[in-house]
Amino acid sequence: MTTDLQSRPRGIGSDYEKVRKLLGSYGPERLEELRDEAIRAFAAVGIPTTKDEEFKYLPLRVLEEGQFASAYGATVSRHEAESGAIGKIEAATIAFVNGQAAPELSHPYVLPGGVFLGTLEDGFGVIADVLDEHLGKIATLAGKLGTTNDDRFVQLNTAYLSEGAVLFVPKGVVVETPIHIQYLNRADHGPCAIYPRTLIVLEADAQAKVVESHVGLDGIVFSNAVTEIWLGHSAKLEHCKVQIEGEHSVHIAKVGAHQEVGSTLTSNNVNFGGKIVRNDIDVFLGGEHTETWLNGANVGSGEQVVDNHTRIDHAMPNCHSFEVYKTVLADKAQGVFNGKIFVYKDAQKTDAKQTNQALLLSPTAAINTKPQLEIFADDVKCTHGASIGQLREDALFYLRSRGIPYAEARSLLVYAFVAEVLDKITVPDLRDSLERMLFEKLRSVSELPPAEETGA
Amino acid sequence: MLEIKNLHARVEGREILRGIDLSVGAGEVHAIMGPNGSGKSTLASVIAGKPEYEVTEGSITLGDADLLELTPEERAAEGLFLAFQYPIEIPGVSNTYFLRAALNSVRKHRGEPEVSMTEFMKHIRSKAAAMDMDQAMLSRAVNEGFSGGEKKRNEIFQMAVLEPKIAVLDETDSGLDIDALKIVADGVNALRSPERGFVVITHYQRLLNYIVPDFVHVLVDGRIVRSGGKELALQLEDQGYGFLEEELAGQARS
Repeated sequence: MTTDLQSRPRGIGSDYEKVRKLLGSYGPERLEELRDEAIRAFAAVGIPTTKDEEFKYLPLRVLEEGQFASAYGATVSRHEAESGAIGKIEAATIAFVNGQAAPELSHPYVLPGGVFLGTLEDGFGVIADVLDEHLGKIATLAGKLGTTNDDRFVQLNTAYLSEGAVLFVPKGVVVETPIHIQYLNRADHGPCAIYPRTLIVLEADAQAKVVESHVGLDGIVFSNAVTEIWLGHSAKLEHCKVQIEGEHSVHIAKVGAHQEVGSTLTSNNVNFGGKIVRNDIDVFLGGEHTETWLNGANVGSGEQVVDNHTRIDHAMPNCHSFEVYKTVLADKAQGVFNGKIFVYKDAQKTDAKQTNQALLLSPTAAINTKPQLEIFADDVKCTHGASIGQLREDALFYLRSRGIPYAEARSLLVYAFVAEVLDKITVPDLRDSLERMLFEKLRSVSELPPAEETGA
Repeated sequence: MLEIKNLHARVEGREILRGIDLSVGAGEVHAIMGPNGSGKSTLASVIAGKPEYEVTEGSITLGDADLLELTPEERAAEGLFLAFQYPIEIPGVSNTYFLRAALNSVRKHRGEPEVSMTEFMKHIRSKAAAMDMDQAMLSRAVNEGFSGGEKKRNEIFQMAVLEPKIAVLDETDSGLDIDALKIVADGVNALRSPERGFVVITHYQRLLNYIVPDFVHVLVDGRIVRSGGKELALQLEDQGYGFLEEELAGQARS
């Protein structure tokens, strides 16, 4: 075998030495140590197999054999960016193509004073103290409860840390304009590995709405994203993560959030694309009286695998979390839901509610669901419910009684099942285009009456 | 127009309807009254074709159509409309989309072309205005978070949009305060026409002060035991269902 001369690496992470120097040109020197440490941690465990508890249902052989080259440049026109899957969202936009900043696609807005929206690179020049304090500190599970904690894809992302996005909103500032952090991927010269990194820091009483989109335009991409979110005292963030990667791509993402006293986080996690998709949405409640909403809307068809792991660390008393994850699977699609809730010893008066529901549209679709509650406090209210389901008969009859034929009525209820979650998104452009996309996706697997501009 | 003959039906093996005969002509309003558990709502469900009800005997026809041979959606296409006692919430589907899908399905069944979006919006906006309905309700999800009164009003609004030949109102008055009742009744009265028939099912006479029926039928224990004009409703209001039940018991003894 001619391995040395082969320009493409064997497995994910194996070309680190080759690109190390190039990575070193991004950000201050101290990042080099961080990267080196991260690749060592990743290499020690390597690409997971289904024997690894946290990746039990995720087939990742493709990461060994897929010959993904580390990110190379590609060109995307503004027209392509705005007419693509998500369309144009009225938002302050920072765009990346294959992980590299694409200022020509960005949409600068006049943001309130003190707000920083830019690349990590620029961030080190303007708000170095914020980056030093938070970058790489939030996403890790080190020191947290749990016996199967697995940070390897956070490490991998950190090893390849280069360009990325930062949003910083200082104390008391409310950003009304939605922020769009747009990762566009185009693998037009063979499979490509991309490592998007996002840091969102809201200081006390700050508010923002962030759309983080991952959209595949061409080819086979391995996108390994990490997003770190810090919410200060009484800060409020709506974070919409939208994944519409190409049909042969692999997307493995982690959103790690830390909430201080009285803060509110709404996480909307939408997955329509990709071949193999994994999200870890982890929230650490580091202050009392916080509110956390985790919403998930997932549709899989063909041979897609959609795996969502969520984790909420109720480390402080008097915090509320509400979680609703919905998944529709057609054809041979596979789904996974794992919902961990840790209630720490001192976290009395915790109120945690977790719901996950799946609809299977074909006998060959399947979902593995596992609520995992570990409660070390005694005065708490924790509920979880899982259903793999049937459509509501009463609603089906209601629609039919109005003249809508059985097959269409069924499809409409499948649509409604997911749209109910999308309705929680408060960025109207995004919600509308996601509903349109949902509609088209379901239309390809079942019968739906035409939508036109009815805003179904 | 709507002909029900010797209708027997059961649910979960229990016979609820035990030989109903009812004939509703075009332009007529028939009220069906009766005590709780007499089979009123079952009658409405059976007419509309709710799957868990089994018809064991008899027939229901609408014009030339044998309703019992048809699916619920085909019955709707033939011109039947049921206003639900408990309208269903469907989060995620807007009223507008729902109604347009319904209207076009019905039109398709009848071999008529689909209505254009512009025509459709004009149609529903005028109907909503006539019902004194907030236009914002059109873009909201079907019945989601609606109050009891709003849900019932939405039923009548749907009826106005779909323009059925026969409308069956299943306890549309239940849970309504007097103001909501008036709004709903006004909506129904506005739809009264020489071509359209109504079956108004109610436990209380109150609704019939506002929707004045041509005929009143009293349903007891799965049978129509008395039919009359609107004065029958007033008599029931005064005397309750007790006197009828006693009479029936007397007849049974003799």
